[in-house]
Amino acid sequence: MSGFPALVHRIVEGGSVLKAQVSAQSRKDIVAWVGSHVLPHEAAVRAWLRRWTGRAQDIDDVIQEAYSRLASLDSVAHIGSGRAYLFQTSRNIVLEQVRRSKIIRIDNVTDIGALSIVDEAPPLDRVVAGARELQRVEQLIDQLPLKCRRVFVLRRIHGVSQREIAGMFGISESAVEKLAMRGLKLILKAMEGDNTAKELEEDIDEHSRDRTRSR
Amino acid sequence: MSTQETAREVADQAAEWATRIDAGAIDPHTNQSLQRWLEEDSRHRGALLRAEAALSFLDRGRALAGVVPKPARRPIWIRRKLLFAGLGLAAGIAGVAILMTAPHRYDTRVGEIRQVPLSDGSIVAINTQSAVEVAMHPDVREVTLTRGEAWFKVAHDKKRPFIVSAGRIRVRAVGTAFSVRRHDDGVDVQVTEGVVETWTVGEEARRVRVAAGSKAYVAEYEAPKAIQASADIERSLAWREGQIALEGETLDEAVAQFNRYNARKLVISDSLLAEEKLVGQFRATEPMTFAEAVATTLGASVTQEGDTIRLSRAARH
Repeated sequence: MSGFPALVHRIVEGGSVLKAQVSAQSRKDIVAWVGSHVLPHEAAVRAWLRRWTGRAQDIDDVIQEAYSRLASLDSVAHIGSGRAYLFQTSRNIVLEQVRRSKIIRIDNVTDIGALSIVDEAPPLDRVVAGARELQRVEQLIDQLPLKCRRVFVLRRIHGVSQREIAGMFGISESAVEKLAMRGLKLILKAMEGDNTAKELEEDIDEHSRDRTRSR
Repeated sequence: MSTQETAREVADQAAEWATRIDAGAIDPHTNQSLQRWLEEDSRHRGALLRAEAALSFLDRGRALAGVVPKPARRPIWIRRKLLFAGLGLAAGIAGVAILMTAPHRYDTRVGEIRQVPLSDGSIVAINTQSAVEVAMHPDVREVTLTRGEAWFKVAHDKKRPFIVSAGRIRVRAVGTAFSVRRHDDGVDVQVTEGVVETWTVGEEARRVRVAAGSKAYVAEYEAPKAIQASADIERSLAWREGQIALEGETLDEAVAQFNRYNARKLVISDSLLAEEKLVGQFRATEPMTFAEAVATTLGASVTQEGDTIRLSRAARH
């Protein structure tokens, strides 16, 4: 009777039993899972949170807290849907905040409360979903300023190392690193919503002009 | 809070670390300055996860490229649905455009809010449980508020003053927007545009002018008193859109407002709960939606017994 594998049985709401392996997942697996199952839905969650508040700062804080909670997990194997998880976690964070505040902003909590509506993305077949995702990746990279874009295409699509890119461009490795960092910052920002290329340009202008606004 | 990094700053720092890790420039497990950064703030770990996840997401581009075709156009049925929605809207507008010309009485039931365009181009919005009579004469536009509350958007016509009677109280406008609400012993006059004059019958000499952004309470048997400027007017007229707007009212006060509009009455069975202050905007005729929002936010529970919706403090879970 002692040969059974170590499994944890978890009773979830509704009475069904989930089996989860005790062993922690590798960090790399978690990162990949967040990249493919959570991050692509962040813009939808942010749009949904906008019904609760117009303050971008508040939304940023909720999203950030949601990722912090994800980061504290040893395993994400028990999470069925990354999208539902991000909605659910954001909703809980909002409700915790709302309950703590003195005067309670309540109207849009109706939407936040009615979570079942937004739980799942409309079902797409695999091919369409894959095509959407690819399109999104292309869009994100296309929106980058020229030099960043070249670094990103080489590094991410062709898997070329930073050292090799430095050699190809005839620039220092740290210059490549700076371009890669800047590109990732812009991409992280773009993933927050449906930022158009124009907004990105403005953002870049803002940085490069040293905060001297021409408008 | 002011010394704390913003989400954006944290995200930017995380992007820098993620880039270094990705390039193999540092070992995430042994690099001490990375470990220090991660321990500085509980948010840093989440931000780094997100930044690394973004790189991983972009790498999927490599995996997906050439494997999948471009997405097809949006299916036709969605466009059809939009078209039908458009037709419905057009029909609704046509219904509103039918103008009333003859002297007429308008009654609203509990929860009913009516917008009535008048033959002179004015508009009357009639709140719940109210009655308004309208008579258009060549020299005067006479409106009688027999009960309840109404808001008037008066078409400009200098030759035909627009006079609202509410018991012994009169409110006169030329081209203006204002509301009149009857109480047992007087009326509230709130002005949203232009100026009105108000007086009590028999006290015509003691008229009071109320300008946009102000309100006055006029008692049946006294000359009109204090005119107060009020930032609240638009909000207190949210009923015209069928809404109740709350701006720090207690749950108790909010419930009283909802009960004006609905046969299904809200009841609070916890005095502490009743004191909670709320901000928000709701459809006046959906007390259940409101009750559910209260339940979600305040951790209360909702029970229904016949025409009563009861809000009570739920056992904390």
